[in-house]
Amino acid sequence: MEIVGLVMLGLFAGTLASTLGVGGGIIFVPVLTSVFVFGQLEAQGTSLAIILPTAIIGTLTHARAGRVVWNVAYVTGGLGIVFALVGAQLAQAMDEAILSKVFAVVLAVLAIRMARRAWGLRSESIATNGRRDATG
Amino acid sequence: MDFPWIKTAVVGALAGFLAGLLGIGGGVIIVPGLVLLVGLNQYSAAATSMAAIVAASAAALFAFSSNGDVNWATAGVVFIGAATGAWAGARWMHRVPEHVLAGTFATVMAVAAVRMWF
Repeated sequence: MEIVGLVMLGLFAGTLASTLGVGGGIIFVPVLTSVFVFGQLEAQGTSLAIILPTAIIGTLTHARAGRVVWNVAYVTGGLGIVFALVGAQLAQAMDEAILSKVFAVVLAVLAIRMARRAWGLRSESIATNGRRDATG
Repeated sequence: MDFPWIKTAVVGALAGFLAGLLGIGGGVIIVPGLVLLVGLNQYSAAATSMAAIVAASAAALFAFSSNGDVNWATAGVVFIGAATGAWAGARWMHRVPEHVLAGTFATVMAVAAVRMWF
């Protein structure tokens, strides 16, 4: 039963991850700590062990569809690793509670901009489809 | 290919820095960065972010596994489902309208924002 639950968790998070372009840790970590009673570090480590091979499969499938912009991927991935090391070093010296709140605000602002973009794209798509119906 | 190097570099650096600092994934910053700043569409941003995550998660996994903080058996079982989902999602993503992807992403970001606040 637990195995079925874990596979279903993977199926849900994996689908969401590859269509949205995230790792899936945002789902794995809280589920592993709350439902499967993992400690925080073990949940993060295990989450990463799922994410790496899952991201490889997602990337290969996306690449076959010609969707990956490789130049951009190399720059973001490469700089991402370097600056993750810098961030990890600074983490010890900084107040995590305040940082989390600052980051929450940044995310909320980005979420609103993304939602407005979604709304704009929706209106655009309705307009295009309407035109298509009228001409076709 | 001609693309905005500097804006891309800013997105990568910021995503990595926050990931290292707060232990969150980079995707939640990379995707909006690539869409809103670099100008990729939602499909390419998701695919490109996933490629960047391969590199980033490999480095982080190495650190966690050297400390013994990985439950490989659990990871293996979850991966069976995750691999299937990741393949299916990438295979049929083009059928999902862009505004639905952007809307879902905005929702995920809002959830992440609430989680970070509390």
